[in-house]
Amino acid sequence: MQETDLHDLSDDADYAASIQQGSASVMMTRSGSGKQSSSSEPEGAEIVYSKDNVAIHPTQFASENIAGRLKLIKQGNSLFMTWIPYKGQNSNARLSERDRNLYTIRAVPFSDVRSIRRHTPAFGWPYVIVVLSSGLAYPPLYFYNGGVKEFLATIKQHAFVVRSLEDANVFLVNDFQSPLQRTLSSLELPGAAASVPNGLSLALSSNESQSYGNLDRTGGAISDGTSSFSQNHGRQRHKSNDPARDLSIHVLEKFSLVTKFARDTTSQLFRENHGNGFGGLERKSYSHESVDIPRKASKDEEKIIDEHPVPPDPIEKLLDKKHDLGEEAATNVGTFELINFKEFDKKTLVWGKPRQPPLGYEEWATFLDFEGRVVDSNALKKRIFYGGVDHTLRKEVWPFLLGYHDYDSTYAEREYLKATKKLEYETVKRQWQSISSEQARRFTKFRERKGLIDKDVVRTDRSFSFFDGDDNPNVNMLRDILLTFSFYNFDLGYCQGMSDFLSPILYVMEDESESFWCFVALMERLGPNFNRDQNGMHSQLFALSKLVELLDSPLHNYFKQNDCLNYFFCFRWVLIQFKREFDYDKTMCLWEVLWTHYLSEHMHLYVCVAILKRYRHKIIGENMDFDTLLKFINELSGHIDLDPIIRDAEALCICAGEHGAASIPPGTPPSLPVENENGSLYVQEDEVL
Amino acid sequence: MATSGNKNINAKLVLLGDVGAGKSSLVLRFVKGQFVEFQESTIGAAFFSQTLAVNDATVKFEIWDTAGQERYHSLAPMYYRGAAAAIIVYDITNQASFERAKKWVQELQSQGNPNMVMALAGNKADLLDARKVAAEEAQVYAQENGLFFMETSAKTATNVNDMFYEIAKRLPRVQPSQNPSGMVLMDRPAERAASASCCG
Repeated sequence: MQETDLHDLSDDADYAASIQQGSASVMMTRSGSGKQSSSSEPEGAEIVYSKDNVAIHPTQFASENIAGRLKLIKQGNSLFMTWIPYKGQNSNARLSERDRNLYTIRAVPFSDVRSIRRHTPAFGWPYVIVVLSSGLAYPPLYFYNGGVKEFLATIKQHAFVVRSLEDANVFLVNDFQSPLQRTLSSLELPGAAASVPNGLSLALSSNESQSYGNLDRTGGAISDGTSSFSQNHGRQRHKSNDPARDLSIHVLEKFSLVTKFARDTTSQLFRENHGNGFGGLERKSYSHESVDIPRKASKDEEKIIDEHPVPPDPIEKLLDKKHDLGEEAATNVGTFELINFKEFDKKTLVWGKPRQPPLGYEEWATFLDFEGRVVDSNALKKRIFYGGVDHTLRKEVWPFLLGYHDYDSTYAEREYLKATKKLEYETVKRQWQSISSEQARRFTKFRERKGLIDKDVVRTDRSFSFFDGDDNPNVNMLRDILLTFSFYNFDLGYCQGMSDFLSPILYVMEDESESFWCFVALMERLGPNFNRDQNGMHSQLFALSKLVELLDSPLHNYFKQNDCLNYFFCFRWVLIQFKREFDYDKTMCLWEVLWTHYLSEHMHLYVCVAILKRYRHKIIGENMDFDTLLKFINELSGHIDLDPIIRDAEALCICAGEHGAASIPPGTPPSLPVENENGSLYVQEDEVL
Repeated sequence: MATSGNKNINAKLVLLGDVGAGKSSLVLRFVKGQFVEFQESTIGAAFFSQTLAVNDATVKFEIWDTAGQERYHSLAPMYYRGAAAAIIVYDITNQASFERAKKWVQELQSQGNPNMVMALAGNKADLLDARKVAAEEAQVYAQENGLFFMETSAKTATNVNDMFYEIAKRLPRVQPSQNPSGMVLMDRPAERAASASCCG
């Protein structure tokens, strides 16, 4: 079958009609927060379809129908669907806010959609049922004001749609604008089904401890490390510590999503064999597909080694295999055909889920109950992890992410907190404000601390409009907050890099006291970055070296051979969480993703790995020594494309799984510190500034 | 260590000094000919390289620019170990920065490479009205401690290239070693640096 045939729906009267209507869809671009983004970034979200009075009917009672707005949003190459119920409806109904939240459809990427079934009953409203690749279906969406054709036509414009051969009312949907992504995101995970390549399996099973001074503490880390991962992958946990088994089962499970297109029995087979050990599973699920894969893959490996002096990335090798698997599995689908993969350059591969449009006000409201509590904080974190927050909303959301506000606090409680915390802030602030110049003359530590802060605030983000110009009040606010913080936490004091953290917080919060408390909450976790003994930094850089060892053993070996295992070339990345690497907007976007702690508290370390992997070919190929590497990494600033890096980091984090979590010692920032005996968290020598 | 081969010398140079004395600004002026009024603080360290032609040789400086805050002091040995030259920078409008410069000199004298060429730079020399450290005082201190001294201004470019040029001229000409870049990591004591300092 030809690809054009697949795309060609012109024989379909409905489609022809709807296309003639053209895109009567509403075109809008996201407002705000675009100020500094570079034009090459596909960051703007565009609403390509918006329909009011689209309802679901949770019960048979018309009074309990929930009406809302259905939207299609385009972001980059990805199309998303949202359906958000109107607020303040059905006041007398039994439906609670919780029910309303339950039905809300929050930014589903079309890469996750399998099909849409259209129903046009003779009596009543037309409706559609959206079925996800997972097999889940959303409740029927009733179009009170019509618009089904337009809905389908709009999807067709932005995603790959083909009408089912079996049922003319079923539309098979896929985001084939980047077909490889589609396949990968349905598989989602790197990992080998038939065999784990030697590189990775060796790295995973290696217990050989690295010489890294006295920092090697992984021994005690394993039990604790698993917990952060399990929250999202509980169902994939296994008692066995055999990494090959974990990865493979994980991939099998993901793979079943694809094969389900053709054979719905796969998942059943998977369930049946779940306890029978890996060998049986592999054979049954893959039957004929698995036969020639190992041979093919090993041929590829040889070729890569012949052509490049740079050892191949073990993860890329996994992807190569998945490539083959995807293609073969797809040909079994029968209903339609996946496109040709060969046109894709695997070096520019992006995997992990497509980024979603940022969380906006309307959707944010669906996360809150009527008193303002966040009903499902995990769902919120997940949503933010995949899409970030619209800039105008950051002010409300960041205090939750930073831990200043509790998720189950009410509007009233937060207002009260704001008022009491303002008083508390003023009290601490007066402590240094009341120091007279006479007193300051005999208070060296104060003078030095103030001097240091004064020097830094005038050179923090001064090219950014919020802080530019002479006598900018925001610069003064920056100084006052930092000085107050250095009294609030006198032991930690002020350290260079803190002003980098505070600057976006102040820009977002636009309030001195609220910024202060958000900063305090951030320092609860990241304060150890600034310890005099550098322990917080050492433990993170150590964990980073362990993650690279796990996820890219050739790169790890390269660093080892070149005396780069201290990872000081990543010092700036880790110390201020990439603040100097991205422009202001992108930094804020990255931070809120990191602060969700959604897949891991240490996502920033996976971001480091993701960036290093992007440049591994250059680093190894050019045989960079430590100096050259540091220079190279410093000069990457402003040249890193954030979205693909976040997606890579996500995939790497999932790929590393429990082994990744176990590579990170407990108490490694931003994990909350493990308390020591004397109760002081920041023990500093006396001469400290 | 400074090393030469066909009169091409690679020299590792480190900048040390108090917060805001102008270390990064001096490097940027020397390497890129630029000056930024509000040069952001250095996090960790930055690395630059620049080549100068001096009389009989070409000197390629590999420059380590460090963070100034006392709190990051523990990282400094990683950068100055094995360095052929150091510039210790203070701000002529800030007495405390001069005191801190003296501490760096002491540390380098006891911990650094014994053949290191050390320069003392009194930066911000354009701010004459705000001067707190007399040039004579610094000059005397420099002489007593075998340093080479200049007042500089990264802003106006005064004496910046001259200082690097002076350092290049004073570098000992030694035979090529096996370790041209001279980076020695913290968990390795300075044995490589010691073996390279063969010129006595």
